[in-house]
Amino acid sequence: MQVTETLSSGLKREFKVVVAAQELDKELNRRLVELAGKANIKGFRPGKVPVPHLKRVYGKSVMAEVVQKQLDDASKQVLAERNLKPAYQPEVKLPEDEAEVARIFDGQGDLAYTMSLEVVPTFELKDTTGLTLERHVIDVTDSHLDEALGRLAGQYKDWQSKDGKAAKGDRVTMSFVGKIDGVAFDGGSAENVPLEIGSGQFIPGFEDQLVGVKAGDELTVKVTFPETYGVATLAGKPAEFDVKVSGVEAPKETVIDDEFAKKLGLESLDKLKETVRDRMGQEFGQMTTLKLKRDVLDALDAAYSFELPEKLVDAEFNGIWNALDQEMKRSGKSFADENTTEEDARKEYRAIAERRVRLGLVLGTLGEKEGVTVTDDELQRALIDRARQFPGQERKVFDYYRKNANALLELRGPIFEQKVVDHIVAKANVSEKKVSREELQALVQDEEDHVHHDHDHDHDHHHHDHDHDHDHHHHDHDHDHAHHDHDHAHDHDHAHEAEKAPAKKKAPAKKAKKAE
Amino acid sequence: MSKEHFFDVIRGPAITEKGTLVSEKNQVVFNVASTATKPQIKAAVEGLFGVKVKAVNTLVRKGKLKNFKGKAARLSDVKKAFVTLAEGQKLDVTTGL
Repeated sequence: MQVTETLSSGLKREFKVVVAAQELDKELNRRLVELAGKANIKGFRPGKVPVPHLKRVYGKSVMAEVVQKQLDDASKQVLAERNLKPAYQPEVKLPEDEAEVARIFDGQGDLAYTMSLEVVPTFELKDTTGLTLERHVIDVTDSHLDEALGRLAGQYKDWQSKDGKAAKGDRVTMSFVGKIDGVAFDGGSAENVPLEIGSGQFIPGFEDQLVGVKAGDELTVKVTFPETYGVATLAGKPAEFDVKVSGVEAPKETVIDDEFAKKLGLESLDKLKETVRDRMGQEFGQMTTLKLKRDVLDALDAAYSFELPEKLVDAEFNGIWNALDQEMKRSGKSFADENTTEEDARKEYRAIAERRVRLGLVLGTLGEKEGVTVTDDELQRALIDRARQFPGQERKVFDYYRKNANALLELRGPIFEQKVVDHIVAKANVSEKKVSREELQALVQDEEDHVHHDHDHDHDHHHHDHDHDHDHHHHDHDHDHAHHDHDHAHDHDHAHEAEKAPAKKKAPAKKAKKAE
Repeated sequence: MSKEHFFDVIRGPAITEKGTLVSEKNQVVFNVASTATKPQIKAAVEGLFGVKVKAVNTLVRKGKLKNFKGKAARLSDVKKAFVTLAEGQKLDVTTGL
């Protein structure tokens, strides 16, 4: 194997690798001989297949394996020899000419290809001990508690039917059919829907027109969909709703007392207050940690500037961009709606991508230096999450990561990040600062961009989770069926073949196991 | 005989352990139609592969007795032809026609 460096500028490296045909051939024959020991081909007893015949039958596929292994080995060897740390898996470019590839596979031509990669940039680590940070703490006050309880009470309102006319705050039960230009549109009709007047659940104007209706009333509500309505085809259109009111209910005053607590499944009001307080504390705690983490990352981002591996930034950027693109398509918005042009948006997200990559690298190096490690357990969890992003192909994903140790590196990022941040925080000068909820919210809002995107990601994951589960169920079913078929086949065709007898005995046992 | 008829005579190569073994003696093994005669096989091999045939030996492997759904039945017989090629002739049937 000959390796020559053809490019070395900045972080980019490119190598030309040539593997002689003889080398490939040797490896191919070694594998075939190995295979001949156990290959089971019709017309031959196991292990008695002549190698030339095997080569004719399996030569191509074995050769593909050999070439694949060569590629893996070569990249590993090159990296080890030159002591390079790749930022991602080296990219291999095989000859494009098909005739050329065929020649290689026939063992005629040398395997020659280029391998390009970018190395992890090296940079001076800056001391983070003594970093001044502020932990924004929110105390759960009585007013917060009251507010939360009030909200709870609002959600668990008792209703009492009322004879008179509906007023604001009353609940109206109704059936309606929505029409645009006299034609009913999708999702515009419903039956026996409770609607609290003044809750703002419906299109603006709709609820106002219901004030003063009585049970049994029929009326037509005319509204115009707002320009910013979620469904693009409906936005800005005038619509008519034929509404039939079936009942009007007035809210019963909810008293927050032990009785109310019991309704929610708790023993007493004190208990309820305690629970609510705990939950709010947790919520605020999360906000605090989020803000703190962001501060740490900001500080790191500001402290470092170095050249980044282009491919990594590209990958990160594409990830963001695709998510954004889909989001936009789903909501039917364009860049003009957001007061930006595509170009500006691209630039903005590019910067975010760069920030993420840079932070990832800094955190990685920091963590390494500080001896932060990711346990196999944590990695395994991340791997499962990762696999879920490719519903239906989980096994492939697992195999991919199992075979390519380099790919696993990409997975460790997020776990590492959190651990390193924790590490930095532990070493930093953290001062506590009491803030109100609104203040912290405003602070977090400033960086809306990041939060927004993180949210997007989460959403996607959830969706995938769903699909994934479904898929699994289906698979199970398929498997069962397959087994049944097998059993039948055995019974009919091979029942009297001596060698097959054990197999037949096994089959019902398997079935029984499944049934359990 | 036309080329189509040759295919009626010769069913296919018998790629087996024994088949590869006798190839060292410049012999090729074919599964042939049970009605095929030695002269027909000779003509077919010479016509299809363009080689000179020195001799043809045939055998009929009787079908095995088997039970299907409890009923006894017999698998069909197979006629095989060991074709010896003339000196200096070469034929590799495993690569296909």
